[in-house]
Amino acid sequence: MKVTVCIGSSCHLKGSRQVVEQLQYKLAENNLKDKVELGGTFCMGKCQQGVCVTVDGKFFSVTPESVNDFFKTEILEKLA
Amino acid sequence: MNNLCADIGYKSINHYGEQLCGDHIDVLEQDENFTVIVLADGLGSGVKASILSTLTSKIISTMMADGLSVEDCVETIAATLPICSVRGVAYSTFTIIQLINNEMAELIQYDNPHIILIRNGKNYDYPKTEIIIGGKKIFRSSIKLLENDVFVAMSDGCPHAGIGVGYNFGWERDDIIIFMEALANAGYTAKTLSTYLIDEVNRLYGKQPGDDATACVVKIRRREPMNILFGPPSNRDDCNTMMSLFFSKEGKHIICGGTTSTIAAKYLRRPLRASLDFENSDIPPIAKIEGVDLVTEGVITVNRVLEYAQDHINENNKYEKWSRGKDGASLICQLLFEEATDINFYVGRAMNPAHQNPNLPINFSIKMKLVEELSKCLKQMGKHIKVSYF
Repeated sequence: MKVTVCIGSSCHLKGSRQVVEQLQYKLAENNLKDKVELGGTFCMGKCQQGVCVTVDGKFFSVTPESVNDFFKTEILEKLA
Repeated sequence: MNNLCADIGYKSINHYGEQLCGDHIDVLEQDENFTVIVLADGLGSGVKASILSTLTSKIISTMMADGLSVEDCVETIAATLPICSVRGVAYSTFTIIQLINNEMAELIQYDNPHIILIRNGKNYDYPKTEIIIGGKKIFRSSIKLLENDVFVAMSDGCPHAGIGVGYNFGWERDDIIIFMEALANAGYTAKTLSTYLIDEVNRLYGKQPGDDATACVVKIRRREPMNILFGPPSNRDDCNTMMSLFFSKEGKHIICGGTTSTIAAKYLRRPLRASLDFENSDIPPIAKIEGVDLVTEGVITVNRVLEYAQDHINENNKYEKWSRGKDGASLICQLLFEEATDINFYVGRAMNPAHQNPNLPINFSIKMKLVEELSKCLKQMGKHIKVSYF
């Protein structure tokens, strides 16, 4: 599974750093580091909906507040 | 003409309790081939000294740049300077460094500590000729410049540092030489070298300098062109023109901006790999494209670079932050402030619709302002700047 987080200007201001760090933490906590590849990318062209995240190409709009729910439903449950 | 150029930097501290500095430095760059640097130390400290040294350095640099002789300059100063009512003399010492065609340095020294020249990391004892003008003993030297030569001019506040506090006779010139020899070839800018010297002087004075102290460093280095791309062009059709101009230039290439680097990656047909390493910084992570020396995010990063640049030309307090940092802004600073001598900006005027949101602290006019302010700062650091808009 490949998860990509936008680290462009807009998403950065909307908290992409917190999203990345929380995902890194969650992946480590659940021992999923070798199953999920976490990467960064610059602008996806959907700045209004930032923080922009894709999971295997599928687009999601995530915020630092919703990142835990996102991790649960879109990563943890999909892998189970 | 050769491919050398001079990096000039200086810093002063004031006599404890004074608001004005009695030392003054004037740098006059007439064109690329002729530069005059004058360091003057006015008698006493405070307002009087400040006026004396400002007049002296300004008169000398202006006259020298017009091709007048030292004799004329010295006579003019003697005739012009106001006479001190306490001491009955008009007096300001001076050190002059003239750089001609980036090939020769002419040194003219009157009563300041002698200029230290560090060549290949070692003190170089250059020949001096003594001449007497109007009863004043003046030393002249003519030196052929080599790459990595570091000239250190000082006011007497430097070697007097620590008298009675840490040392009996102050920080002697020989000890200053040892101090500077260790730093000279470590790749620091002239500004940073002068800052290190003055910080040490300040420390030796116990942070209460007994005299104004100034250090001016001139570092002879090879010209280093650098190219920086910032923002996509306002017209999509210009992408290829902008990219081919940018990549055809000699020197390192820096790309700032997410969309901009995506365009560049497409042009080079190379993948763009963004890292997720935040390097303990609030600046967005950098990315990599094969063939590009540095790829960073745009406005937030450049905004920080500007902050560091403004500090660098003034107090230089944030030096420690950017000189060793690994985040995008620090890396740009290291390249632009320390490495580059000639910088070409390629600025795209495209508007990012996502940025025209009143809730975001970035928008189009801020982006243009950033470039203007940054190139102003870089010019003050003595860099040659060219800005092209697309």
